[in-house]
Amino acid sequence: MTYEEKLAAFAERVEAGGKVETEDWMPDDYRRGVLKFVEMHANSEIMGALPERECLPSAPSLRRKMSLAAKIQDEVGHAQLLYRVAEDLGKSRHAMYEDLVTGKSKFHNVFHYPVRHWGDVAVIGWLIDGAALVTQAALRDSSYAPYARVLKRICAEEQLHLRHGEDITLELASGTDRQRWMFQDALERWWLPIIHFFGPRSNVEKDLLLRWKVKTRTNEDLRQEFLDRYVPKVLELGFTFPTPAPVRQGDHWVVREEEIDWQPLEAIKRNQGPETERRLAWRRRMYDEHRWVREAMAEPVVHAA
Amino acid sequence: MDDALRALLLAAADDELVIGHRHSEWTGHAPHIEEDVAFSSIAQDEIGHAAALYGLVAEMEGSDPDAIALGRKPEDYRHAILCERPNRDWGYTLARHWLYDTAEDVRLEALSESSHDGLRAVATKLRREERYHLLHADMWIERVARGPVDGRTRLIDSLTHAFPEAIALFEPLESEHEALERGLLPVPSDELRKRYVERAARALDELGLPTEVGAGADAAAEFIASSSGDLIESDDGADPEPAGRAFGGRSGNRSEDFQPLWEEMTATYRENPGASW
Amino acid sequence: MEVYEVFRRHGHKDPFEHCGAVIAPDPDMALIMAKECFLRRGEGEHLWVARRSDIHSFKDESLLEPTGDKSYRFASGYRDVIHKREKALARVRELSGGGAA
Repeated sequence: MTYEEKLAAFAERVEAGGKVETEDWMPDDYRRGVLKFVEMHANSEIMGALPERECLPSAPSLRRKMSLAAKIQDEVGHAQLLYRVAEDLGKSRHAMYEDLVTGKSKFHNVFHYPVRHWGDVAVIGWLIDGAALVTQAALRDSSYAPYARVLKRICAEEQLHLRHGEDITLELASGTDRQRWMFQDALERWWLPIIHFFGPRSNVEKDLLLRWKVKTRTNEDLRQEFLDRYVPKVLELGFTFPTPAPVRQGDHWVVREEEIDWQPLEAIKRNQGPETERRLAWRRRMYDEHRWVREAMAEPVVHAA
Repeated sequence: MDDALRALLLAAADDELVIGHRHSEWTGHAPHIEEDVAFSSIAQDEIGHAAALYGLVAEMEGSDPDAIALGRKPEDYRHAILCERPNRDWGYTLARHWLYDTAEDVRLEALSESSHDGLRAVATKLRREERYHLLHADMWIERVARGPVDGRTRLIDSLTHAFPEAIALFEPLESEHEALERGLLPVPSDELRKRYVERAARALDELGLPTEVGAGADAAAEFIASSSGDLIESDDGADPEPAGRAFGGRSGNRSEDFQPLWEEMTATYRENPGASW
Repeated sequence: MEVYEVFRRHGHKDPFEHCGAVIAPDPDMALIMAKECFLRRGEGEHLWVARRSDIHSFKDESLLEPTGDKSYRFASGYRDVIHKREKALARVRELSGGGAA
């Protein structure tokens, strides 16, 4: 079979809902596309551990200290699962790490922002994890089967994180004025990044990942599901949205496209977010300083007792 | 107020909280991603141990474990200074993890014979969890000790630095005499310290590490033995370096490393009196 | 001859699961035998074999038992949210003086 014939058969199979395994033949564009997508997802999980990690030392109770540590641990665990999927597509963990810490590869916009207090933990745990769950649940049908399989577990854990985040939110919502302010303040800082999180309108014609069913739903479709699900819950708790504030439209809650300022997202795409450099620099330093650990793990025993 | 029991419980609980706090700082930054996940569980375990022990104090005083853990002034904490030291690098963290968990095993072995029912039960339970911590620590120490020269050198440096400070985990407690008399603490700290130094030194020796690693510990053990009771500050203000540097934790002596840790750890709790989380 | 552990996967959405073992002289023979022993009714789409001697496990499996209170790792640890939501809504009503939020 020629490459073209293989390609046609592949496209037909995927179109019919067929799944692709690591050892299957796949077009180079597909391999590269899936790799880049999963790599960014993995990067986002490991970088996503950092904002919450910055809140962990000042967790307000022993139980919250443990549960937040466990939640971040899950995120790191997701990165582990996803890097494994990406590695099997033909890029070493070392190479992916290098690209991450030198800014060559990317991670999700929301993890480029600073955290200020415990209110951030509530917004991240409830709304950002809620947004992530909407997008990840859709990927459980991805045509790349190893990715779809790890997402099953990731989504189950994200479901738990949502409960964890909602639990923290509700404590703040029913708490003192200052606790309520914590959530409101965090919501005001995070709302635009959350809207950005879903990305601009998908170009269905040009998006290779959609065509090959690696992704299964458009950005705007996912954002709509998120808004419909979470906006009423936030309003019910007496909190208010900053611009772009959602408005009621028939059965849906929508944000007006013209009210979305895309400028901050453009900067983040160039790895120039408010916290990008600081977080990457720290990770780079830790990585460089611990080369000896990687050597100790890679090398056979050299010292007899 | 049962001062002897309180001192005994707080010493152990504060050790667990503060070292758990330090361990948890690795979350998201450990040098290997699988290890990041593994080490986070150890951090969670240590904080869980602290919660169980604070629970006993809270029960006794009719107070709240969080208030004890996060609501005290810095000078009221009773952990060993070793626990508050910054993580430095993975080598130091490993050295301290190994030294600490080996010590914890020695301590819990003794406390699982305590005359206090609650403490005896908690100690027995925690000791089961401790088996895994020891396995984890032993495996890492062995791999690095027998591995490439760079890692081995770092480990030796870290152990040499941390071992003398680890001795202070067995510094005599406030009201130790009473705790011993009542069987709350079944074995004197001096005796536990001997057991610990012997066990740790033997293990390090079996790994083929140079004897200097343990030398500082021997000096520290002597220092603590000669000063048991009223600890470090000598009258002329001379710092009894290096061995005495890390002592006094059990009576509230803190190093410069604790203030920033305390400020961060207790910030949300302190700034929101009466709040529920 | 050696013991080979056999793993099969039902479909693309499932993980591999252990389903038994065969005795065979080499991996290729082990696959052939495992196919008929464990997949002859189409119980799977994919098959793995691994030498038992290549499989490692804890000598003391009690190490795998969960220790301490880890309820915060389970959804059941957050069962309170329904009650907490009611409490939060009551707080919102109180703030708005009993009127609409």
